[in-house]
Amino acid sequence: MNLERLPNEEKLILCRKYYLGGFAFLPFLWLVNVVWFFREAFVKPAYTEQLQIKAYVKWSAVGLLFWVAVLTTWITIFQHFRAQWGEVGDSLSFTIPLGTP
Amino acid sequence: MEHFLNFNVITFLLQNLNETFPCVRLLNATHQIGCQSSFGGDVGVVHLLESEENLDWVLSSGPNPPYMVILESTLFTRYSQCSRVAGVVVVEPTTNPPDGFSPHTSCPNENMGVYSESYGPSYAHCNVTVWNPLGNGLSYEEFDFPIFSMKDSNDTEVIRRCYREHNRAVNGSTPQYPLCAMQLFSHMSAVTDTATCMRRSEIPFSLTPEFVCDPLGDENIWASTKPLNNTAKGHKEGESVVIAAVKMDSRSFFFGLAPGADSTATGLVALLAAANALRNATAELNRTILYTFFHGETFDYIGSSRMVYDMENNQFPLDLDNVHSILEVGQVALGSNSRLWLHSDPVSRRNRSVNKLVSNLHLAAAGLNISLEEPNVTQPLPPSSFQRFLRVRSIPGVVIENHQASFTNKYYQSIFDNAESLQLNYSPNLTAEEQLEFVTDAAKNLTEVATAVARGLYLQAGGHPAGMNTVQADSKLVRPLDWKRNSGYTWIKRLKIKKQSSDGDVSTFSSEDKPTKFYIGVDQEMSEPNFMVQTILANLTGTIVNVTKENCQKQKEDEEDNRNKHLYYYQWVQGPLRPNSTERDSFCVRSTVRKSPAKSPAFVLREYTSKDYSTWTESRWKTITGRIFLVASHDLEMLTLGVGVAVLLVSLLLTYFVSSKADILFSSGREPTNATY
Repeated sequence: MNLERLPNEEKLILCRKYYLGGFAFLPFLWLVNVVWFFREAFVKPAYTEQLQIKAYVKWSAVGLLFWVAVLTTWITIFQHFRAQWGEVGDSLSFTIPLGTP
Repeated sequence: MEHFLNFNVITFLLQNLNETFPCVRLLNATHQIGCQSSFGGDVGVVHLLESEENLDWVLSSGPNPPYMVILESTLFTRYSQCSRVAGVVVVEPTTNPPDGFSPHTSCPNENMGVYSESYGPSYAHCNVTVWNPLGNGLSYEEFDFPIFSMKDSNDTEVIRRCYREHNRAVNGSTPQYPLCAMQLFSHMSAVTDTATCMRRSEIPFSLTPEFVCDPLGDENIWASTKPLNNTAKGHKEGESVVIAAVKMDSRSFFFGLAPGADSTATGLVALLAAANALRNATAELNRTILYTFFHGETFDYIGSSRMVYDMENNQFPLDLDNVHSILEVGQVALGSNSRLWLHSDPVSRRNRSVNKLVSNLHLAAAGLNISLEEPNVTQPLPPSSFQRFLRVRSIPGVVIENHQASFTNKYYQSIFDNAESLQLNYSPNLTAEEQLEFVTDAAKNLTEVATAVARGLYLQAGGHPAGMNTVQADSKLVRPLDWKRNSGYTWIKRLKIKKQSSDGDVSTFSSEDKPTKFYIGVDQEMSEPNFMVQTILANLTGTIVNVTKENCQKQKEDEEDNRNKHLYYYQWVQGPLRPNSTERDSFCVRSTVRKSPAKSPAFVLREYTSKDYSTWTESRWKTITGRIFLVASHDLEMLTLGVGVAVLLVSLLLTYFVSSKADILFSSGREPTNATY
């Protein structure tokens, strides 16, 4: 879909949908929202809906950063301590490479 | 990297090595032992270790690490975890090391025997006698590189030639590329310990459900002189049995090699011959003799601990109250002095019935060419299945061994525990067939041992000393049960026992000229000694009955018979060749031979960190193989890679250039292309 061809109100509705959708543990929607609407929110000359779009994009970005931080921390901890955790580590794993502790 | 560069950097000389025996990973409650390669196989420049000094080349001075070390002699006694070693190939020596070699520990089954802090603490951990002083414990070490054993064959010749032509440093010069290299694959799936690998094998929701290890296990074989109802488990009223025990497994450092001549086969043959000698003499005895062949004793007494467990839990046709006494036959290859030693437990020794058993054995050996003696009374029992019975009850028992204190066997649980170690010397001008007929001194000695064991059992089971002399083991029987030099135990050649497959037809027994592999293996597969002992024991103690093939296979004597299957085991076997014919007679053998599980109770109870029961498991693997090839220098490899990358970049650039100028390059006069996309 080409955003250029969409009327401004439609853009706002779309941006809100992605923003709200992200709360369903879907941080990738927020990522898409940030990338897709960044130009609309911060580069384009001002229009009525831009203020709201700007807010949605900003909060999407915050949410995304939060997810990135949480996931990075967890993955680091998990990879580092999986072998030490033993049984807990194994049951948290989806697939265990053969021959690794 | 070798994979996609092999068109010009690598020349393959040998793709699959034959007759190799790897060292594989085994795990127990706390450790992993054995060897493994990385997932993609380990590569190293071949280095033939001809002498001890040569080792410096591998460990420090050689310019092309890592090295794949080829050991030709018995230097394999020390090791180091060193990043300069990619792997080791041991070429099986043709002669045994004179000083002895045992990769087992110096105190076999240290923590699973009877002696512990609660039972004779002063005897625990081989405090009084170190049973296997030559044991260096290599079999119980962990190696992070592959170690293979190879038979001296065409393949080893290829390796030697390859080394001589490419790798040997002449007059101190460094060898030039291309060099001879070798790659070994033996990646193991299991890791850490038994609890971990069993848990991973049992993960319920896994993307890649896969077993990574299997418990070691098989079956114990037992037979009684009086038929016992095998269906009714638990205590048998009025039954009193003398257990004649022996172990039927062994191991070595390498998977697939477990000759166990002295450590296992001597006792096994002696008890089989004794069982045969007693065949017609047990009718009037008031006690029953129970011949038991325990499997997996090498790995913390798997078989005996399971039988004791089954007896305690009424899963066996007898229970411990039925056991009168135990006579165990250990390593019984006789030395020049023909002495055997009767080992007993100093803790329960106060029991007077032990003395009765000992005096019966002395009486049994009177008139034979062997002398039975007792070691110092303060010496504990050697590693033996009997210890597992003592753990739960002080049953009187004796273990017959050929050593007074430490093992006389210099090659305990090693690849050298073979026919040569027993000094089975055949005159070189005998043919294979004549060798089978020839009774060696070792076979004569073993016949004496078997006779003594048989007579001892006869007396212990209540036989009168006057009737004892008719009990005589047959040297003609021990002879085919004998072992041929370099070919192990070719019992089968004489007995011509054929395996009966599930469809009722007969198939041949394992190939005849290989030494028996006494390794227990994983519990899903039947091991060699299991089938061998089962069939031979049935033939030696059973009787031929006139029963049709169909009834025989259905375990009945006639159509209406549904009682005998509880008492007897029927086996349809093929006999020897008829004279002047290729046909064989088939018949039905009725015996009391039975099987009972030899899987450690730890796996029944799912206690994978058990301190009371064996927890040994064997890792699974995907491929075990090796290959030899010529490898180019690192510089050439890098150059090839560099050229490849350069070609890729140039082609990308060219493509970009061509597509951006496409309208100019591909424009035709007739039809202008639309370049707006």
